[in-house]
Amino acid sequence: MSTERLLTVVAAGLSQPSSTRLLADRLATATTDELHLAGVPVRVEVVELRDHAHAIVDAMLTGFAAGDLAEAVRHVEQADGIVAVTPVFTASYSGLFKSFADILDPAALTGVPVLLGATGGTERHTLALEYALRPLLSYLHADVVPTSVFAATADWAGASAPDGPRDGAGGLPQRIARAGQELARAVAAREPRGEQADPFASTPSFSDLLGG
Amino acid sequence: MQFGIFSVSDITPDPTTGRVPDDTERVRDMLTIARHADEAGLDVFATGEHHNPPFMASSPTTMLGYLAGVTRNITLSTATTLITTNDPVRLAEEYAMLQVISDGRMDLMMGRGNTGPVYPWFGQDIRNGIPLAVENYALLRRLWTEDVVDWEGTFRTALQGFTSTPRPLDGVPPFVWHGSIRSPEIAEQAAYYGDGFLHNNIFWPMHHTRQMVRFYRQRYEHHGHGRADQAIVGLGGQVFLHRNSQEAVRQFRPYFDVAPVYGHGPSLEDFSAQTPLTVGSPQQVIDRYASFVDDVGYYQRQMFLIDHAGLPLKTVLEQIDLLAGEVVPALRTIVEAKRPADDVPLNPPTHAERVAAARAAGRTAATHVGDGVDDVTGTLAEGARA
Repeated sequence: MSTERLLTVVAAGLSQPSSTRLLADRLATATTDELHLAGVPVRVEVVELRDHAHAIVDAMLTGFAAGDLAEAVRHVEQADGIVAVTPVFTASYSGLFKSFADILDPAALTGVPVLLGATGGTERHTLALEYALRPLLSYLHADVVPTSVFAATADWAGASAPDGPRDGAGGLPQRIARAGQELARAVAAREPRGEQADPFASTPSFSDLLGG
Repeated sequence: MQFGIFSVSDITPDPTTGRVPDDTERVRDMLTIARHADEAGLDVFATGEHHNPPFMASSPTTMLGYLAGVTRNITLSTATTLITTNDPVRLAEEYAMLQVISDGRMDLMMGRGNTGPVYPWFGQDIRNGIPLAVENYALLRRLWTEDVVDWEGTFRTALQGFTSTPRPLDGVPPFVWHGSIRSPEIAEQAAYYGDGFLHNNIFWPMHHTRQMVRFYRQRYEHHGHGRADQAIVGLGGQVFLHRNSQEAVRQFRPYFDVAPVYGHGPSLEDFSAQTPLTVGSPQQVIDRYASFVDDVGYYQRQMFLIDHAGLPLKTVLEQIDLLAGEVVPALRTIVEAKRPADDVPLNPPTHAERVAAARAAGRTAATHVGDGVDDVTGTLAEGARA
């Protein structure tokens, strides 16, 4: 039996209920289903950024995450895989999503498998995933899976937009399943991260500092 | 335990009146604050060092030298002295001069400074912050402990036959603290030399402070200076006092809400819960600060920030009276009763104690420039004795 993995879901939707959270939950379920099939136990933690909105701004101003936000940050920093979903606002990820990314340790996502999702009113925003979200996660050295999933309003009706191209990408459920498969494989292939290493363990001894 | 105040020397408009002190006024206010702290019986006054507006404390030893002349008992210190952008040769000279002028009633705290643009104004680069702190401090120590120094390093021109003057008082250099909020390398540096470590936790949660102090204590023991609980630790703090706790909150809130560091962010209540900030009655401050010993172990110096964010001079002086009169005596009694053993230092070492320890260990250089040392070459002339 392999070690339990932590899948952390970050959802940046603002409304309640939120289609962003809905997409995030579907992506998480697709991932955990695949992991279960592979015999890999997994635990899911959900971080709804709306719940931490004020605390995120406070953390930008004070330099530390407090209270529940500190726990949310820990869920991200200890995750073996991350599902990150944002609404597209003004041609990009939401400001709240970026602010949350800004308060993370720059090394927190290094090498961590990430599945990206986004929601929007129309599928014209689809590429925001590729020109905005993916570069942000690449900068953070995350291991972003190839398939990212955009869900426009029309997708929830169960079909491609009637006037849209038949691009072979399949309907939303198929894309969610494929993306979940990719994330599950990446998570299973990687050693579990476990608890954060002691940040002081890697401090060089002073003799080395002097000699360096 | 010593209790003192430190100033970052910010020139900030008073948000309740819109009045902005000018830099001349603020310098004079800071001198008044330090003299008042001495008269009220606080143990330490420390000045920051900054080279960019809105701060004015650019020249700590000038300020502290004056204060040495007009105060009687208070220990004069820094918070912090920039070990990165100052030439260690000038630091050795200036602080040895201050040590002599104050008759040993001083110590100092090294810090790196976190404002990137300041570094190039002094020919340095913030990306070298840690290596600068390491090399400069190693040289500073040699300049204080060795009469004649040959030295070569990375960040300044080499020295051949250099003698820093005046020599440290009684041949024993000032006690040094190292201040760092987030860098374990600096805690390691303090531990390596057996110096003090001050965690200025005023804007940080206690769980972080606890981690840093524990690391310093472990390394202090590792480097053979004594047990972990004997390491010399200081903490920062921030309070606003009024005999009536609601009135304290009412008076301080307008300053808190727009304060340069945390203003427009968390509420006063949240920030008070998350950091050492305590706004309330003397008893509330006593209760809160008496608990820090339980978090980090018995420590030797507690500093308070009280003159920032545009608070007017009159208010600051009242704060000093409340702190010295109604908080410190009771707080000291409580925390000193928690000292785990008699061989855990009650206070940071005084100059006299350091001289006694050095003599006992046979370590004082006890030389003075003029003791037959050649003025030109810095070396001892053959057969010459004063």
